[in-house]
Amino acid sequence: MATQPSDYTEFPPEIILKPLALVGLSGLDAINNAVHKEIWDAFSNNRRADRTPVRFKLLNNTFEFPVVKPKRNSYEWYIPKGILKKNWIHKRVTLIPAVVVIFYDMDWNDPQWNEKIIECASKVQSIRAAVEGHATRVAVVVIQSRLSPPPSEYMLGAERAQALCAACEIQSKSLFVLPHSDHLMGYIVRLENAFYDIAQNYYHHETKNVKQHRDHLNKTTHQYLFVRHQFKLGYLNELKQDMSTAHKHYMHAYNNLLETRTVDTNIHEVRTVAGYINYKLCKLLFALNLPRDAIAQLKSHVERYKNRIGSTELLFEHYAWIARQYSAFGELFDEAIRAGLPGIQSQHPGFYYQHAAQFTVKRRQAMRSVCNEALQYPPPPDPMDGIVEFYGQRPWRPGRLSADPHDPQKEQAAILALQYNERIFNHSAMIISFLGCAISQFKTFHSPRMRKQLVVEMANEYYYSADYGKALTLLTHMLWDYRREKWWFLASHVLNRALQCAYLSAKIQDYLQLSIEALSKHIQVPNNDKDRIFRNIMSVLNMNIPGPEPDLPAASQGKALELWQFAIEKEPLNIVLDMVNITSFMEVKPKFKQQKYRMDEIIEIEVYVRLTYAAHLEVKKSHLTISSHTEAIEIPIIDNANSFTLEGGKVKRFLCQFKCNPQDSGSDLHIKNVSFILDSDRRRKIIMNFKMDDNKTSESTIHPELLHFIISPKADFEFDCIVPLTVASIISRECKLSFSVSNASPALQGEWFPTQFSITNNEASTIYDMKIVLSLLGSPDNPNPESVTELSFTEGEPQAQPLKLVVANIDPSASYTNQFYLKTNRTATTTIQIKVSYVINLPEISKLECIKDFTTKITVIKPFEVSTNFVSMNFKPITKCFVDDPFVVMPQIKILSPWDLLIVDTDLEVLECFTFSDDAKPPSCISNLEVSEKNIASDAICIQAKFKPKDNPTRVGLYNITWRRKSNLRGHCVMSSTALSGLPIDECPIAVEVNYPEVIEQLTSVPLKCSLIGKSTTPVRLSLSVEGTDAYMFSGYKKIMVTIPPKDKLELCYNIHPLVAGNTTPPRLKATVVGDSSMQEVISEMFDKKFPQNIFVMPKYNK
Amino acid sequence: MAVCVAVIGKDNSPLYIGGVGNDTSTDNELSRQWLVHTALDALEERLATTNSNNTATNTNTSRTDLRDLYLGLLYSTDTHKIYGYVTNTRIKLVLVTSSTSPSGSNIRDAEVRTALRRLHALYADAICNPFHLPGEQITSQKFDKQVKNIMLNNV
Repeated sequence: MATQPSDYTEFPPEIILKPLALVGLSGLDAINNAVHKEIWDAFSNNRRADRTPVRFKLLNNTFEFPVVKPKRNSYEWYIPKGILKKNWIHKRVTLIPAVVVIFYDMDWNDPQWNEKIIECASKVQSIRAAVEGHATRVAVVVIQSRLSPPPSEYMLGAERAQALCAACEIQSKSLFVLPHSDHLMGYIVRLENAFYDIAQNYYHHETKNVKQHRDHLNKTTHQYLFVRHQFKLGYLNELKQDMSTAHKHYMHAYNNLLETRTVDTNIHEVRTVAGYINYKLCKLLFALNLPRDAIAQLKSHVERYKNRIGSTELLFEHYAWIARQYSAFGELFDEAIRAGLPGIQSQHPGFYYQHAAQFTVKRRQAMRSVCNEALQYPPPPDPMDGIVEFYGQRPWRPGRLSADPHDPQKEQAAILALQYNERIFNHSAMIISFLGCAISQFKTFHSPRMRKQLVVEMANEYYYSADYGKALTLLTHMLWDYRREKWWFLASHVLNRALQCAYLSAKIQDYLQLSIEALSKHIQVPNNDKDRIFRNIMSVLNMNIPGPEPDLPAASQGKALELWQFAIEKEPLNIVLDMVNITSFMEVKPKFKQQKYRMDEIIEIEVYVRLTYAAHLEVKKSHLTISSHTEAIEIPIIDNANSFTLEGGKVKRFLCQFKCNPQDSGSDLHIKNVSFILDSDRRRKIIMNFKMDDNKTSESTIHPELLHFIISPKADFEFDCIVPLTVASIISRECKLSFSVSNASPALQGEWFPTQFSITNNEASTIYDMKIVLSLLGSPDNPNPESVTELSFTEGEPQAQPLKLVVANIDPSASYTNQFYLKTNRTATTTIQIKVSYVINLPEISKLECIKDFTTKITVIKPFEVSTNFVSMNFKPITKCFVDDPFVVMPQIKILSPWDLLIVDTDLEVLECFTFSDDAKPPSCISNLEVSEKNIASDAICIQAKFKPKDNPTRVGLYNITWRRKSNLRGHCVMSSTALSGLPIDECPIAVEVNYPEVIEQLTSVPLKCSLIGKSTTPVRLSLSVEGTDAYMFSGYKKIMVTIPPKDKLELCYNIHPLVAGNTTPPRLKATVVGDSSMQEVISEMFDKKFPQNIFVMPKYNK
Repeated sequence: MAVCVAVIGKDNSPLYIGGVGNDTSTDNELSRQWLVHTALDALEERLATTNSNNTATNTNTSRTDLRDLYLGLLYSTDTHKIYGYVTNTRIKLVLVTSSTSPSGSNIRDAEVRTALRRLHALYADAICNPFHLPGEQITSQKFDKQVKNIMLNNV
């Protein structure tokens, strides 16, 4: 990873590289040949993890394979010079391909087939010759550009392929055909897999080779070879992508290495190789998804090598090595997490980076203790010159295994060289880099506090490397969090370091802010010397250079002084400090004396200031910032004079008074800020702002009730118990107007109801610009009143709501009277709001606007209720009517109004299926009728049905009543309409008319004419009979069959002669329909209705 | 047994940090405070997971109360082991043992649990003092003495 710092302990790239089978591609001219280039690109580009684990190398004609070492037959006299050769891996991954693939352009039906096959075979031969000695496999790919050959040439292809195999001396499964067509990528992927198979086969063969050596080895002299061979097996298996076998062999290698005897001369080599093998082991364990085993492996690895320190003169190398083990593991862990391994708070890469940083710190300590004498690089010859064949060996004694130093002088020079290099090494940069990695990990894994601690360590490291600006930035950020959580001890630690940084970098703003915070009672400063810090603040204020902080690095002091000399006279001259965010030596509590102020009151704010640091602090100027919705104003805090002195440990109380702005009525005032300005007339000012946050005060953890237990001096105004009050609302001043209403409530539904109101000015002076606004207020039982209710100042003319009225001025104790009208269709209580606003000039405030709301409630009731009766012409109630048969509608008006009413007129609007029985519309029977409560006025209108509509009408018509209050003589009349209930209409094929008198005299004959009128288009045949009674004699047909012609009438004449006086039943005609019996029922009904049940017979007096 | 004991308020501010050690120099105090402060990360994480588990299983509030106040080993470093305990009012008690000293490395979980329970009782006693302000640091000398006793008793 690029983020990892580099030094000599860094792992070589070939160790870190993921082993992939190497496949050499020969015969591709990727520069000049477009087809070849396309093929090469398809192989080499876009090699993602999901593709075959193969690395391709383009072999040009001049490529040379490494020379094969002669096979050793016996290891008896062989003593290895080191553990792992540096170039072995390199050879495996770049120089010795597992497979060499020869590409050749040739079609099966090529005209020059014979020449081509010879050329191809020679190419194969030359490659064979080049790889001589290696077991590298050879394969041939024939690139065919033509389209697939016709079926007739299949045989030809097979033959020629066989011929080619024979010519090239390759097996037929090592010959491939690559048609260059649309599906190149698909062919490439299949070729890749084929090559990979061959490669695996090759590596398998190689591992067998290595295993063969093992039998020749013995433990006494060949311990290194045990390690080397197992490492090689591990690596070859990795190339083969056989992870678990690879892990097994690496583990053997690791254990064999542990068994080697370590002395000062080989310790560096042993632990270097151990580190590499451990890295491979951990990487494989992560790849095998065994993270716990990986962690355990690292822990035991570090544990095993922790005490193999080697030469104490090179102790730093040991720590550097441990740091590298940790950081490399951190990287592996991080990669695994990115590949999907879940990390947890207690186990993530951050810890390993942190360890790496810690061991780098130890490395620096070791360097400080052992490298003091290494002041300069040893004179030539440079002991570091020299080529090392094995990992971890010293250039000045390569390949030497004996424990005693071979050349003591050279050894000394070499150690000096190493020490010198270590001395000039930038440890801080490395520690900072490790910490940076750790910080980001701790941040990811929910450990904000651990992260903070590491950031502070990082800042310390910047401090040691004299990068004070960066250190200061980090520290000031961290200070914030420690302050917030009240870890004052840690905050003090951070703050003191930050103060040193601010001093050393001469940053006036930060220096003052930190100094002021250092004076807080919570912060501990070195030697408890707060006076020094206070003096420093005053020095800066007076444009003098402050005294240095204690324990500064001597090297930086001179530079700091220069910086101060340069900076002290310059900007920033006005230093603004936000005091709320820091803990400081001043506490401020502003407080409105009341929560609400009326417009005409003077607003008073008390400001309590406590200086906790024991000194006298002279404040030149001080002010409060108050904001309202319109503006922000500054109110000076004054104590006799503009400037005042605060005394340490005491509380001072200030009272600020001001008048509010007339526009602020109804809004809130906020104390936004309290500022104290320190100034010594030397151009520099320190402005201390205490910003008041409305939210902050509410969450304060002050428990005033508990604070009373604490003995605090009364002179403190019990400062701790004061709860700041930073918001006060401004309410309009009390309004001295009176209001009265007179009306004849309740109002009646639908009428224009007049209400008289009067407003009297009880103020001491004239009021101006009085405006009245009338509006309707909704209520639960009367929502949206404006939709059904009209308001107006003139009767009968609705006006837009709300009604506005401008009244000019009203003198003191005068009054203003007006009247408004209300008309509503809803019987509920209507609420009317009357908003009066005006301007008044008061002695304190001129042009003060006052507003007052009045409300009045008006109950609305129904004036009357209308019900309907239907009766026949003889005033008998009916439930249905017949077409062309007149009947009487009787609307009854029940008066509910408590007020006497005058019914001016009534009117019935009938539906189209009805008509008035009279020729003209009759005048109302109850016009100009005076009624009072509980009276019932009955009307009667004679109508008849014209035809039978499809559906029975739901109502007969609309009944309109025009009325007004009796008391209201000239006012508008109100017209109320009511729908009258419906009556079913029926049809009868005949109509009957009989002229029965109501009253007849005894013993007097009365002629009765009975007309039967045909209504239908067909004749109706009836059998009539007379139902006689004892009370009458009669003459005429008692029983007769008649046929009633259509649209014509038939008359029957009878005489009746009453015999007895009193209520009698006259003879009645009964009809029976002959034929169509469906009409029987209607006709019987009709006859029943027409012939009276009763006739009153007057007795006859004999005079 | 313990090398350091801390009482931390519900707003994560330290109410009491007491330690027994060979020296009481600033460096020692500083490392002790770092240790306790960073232990809060693990504590908060532990509390957050218990809470989310409780809401996830949709149990009633009594379940939360049944939570064991003793949280066990929070984490261990090369040199120290840190144990946590959270009261129902979210006061956090932290106990640090040294893994290098023989008494600290062989400590049993039950012992730590008992010690933290006793510390809880002592804390409750200390804040019952009407002259103690909730949320302020505990300055009671008696409390300090008793806590130091707990730490040393088991050595």
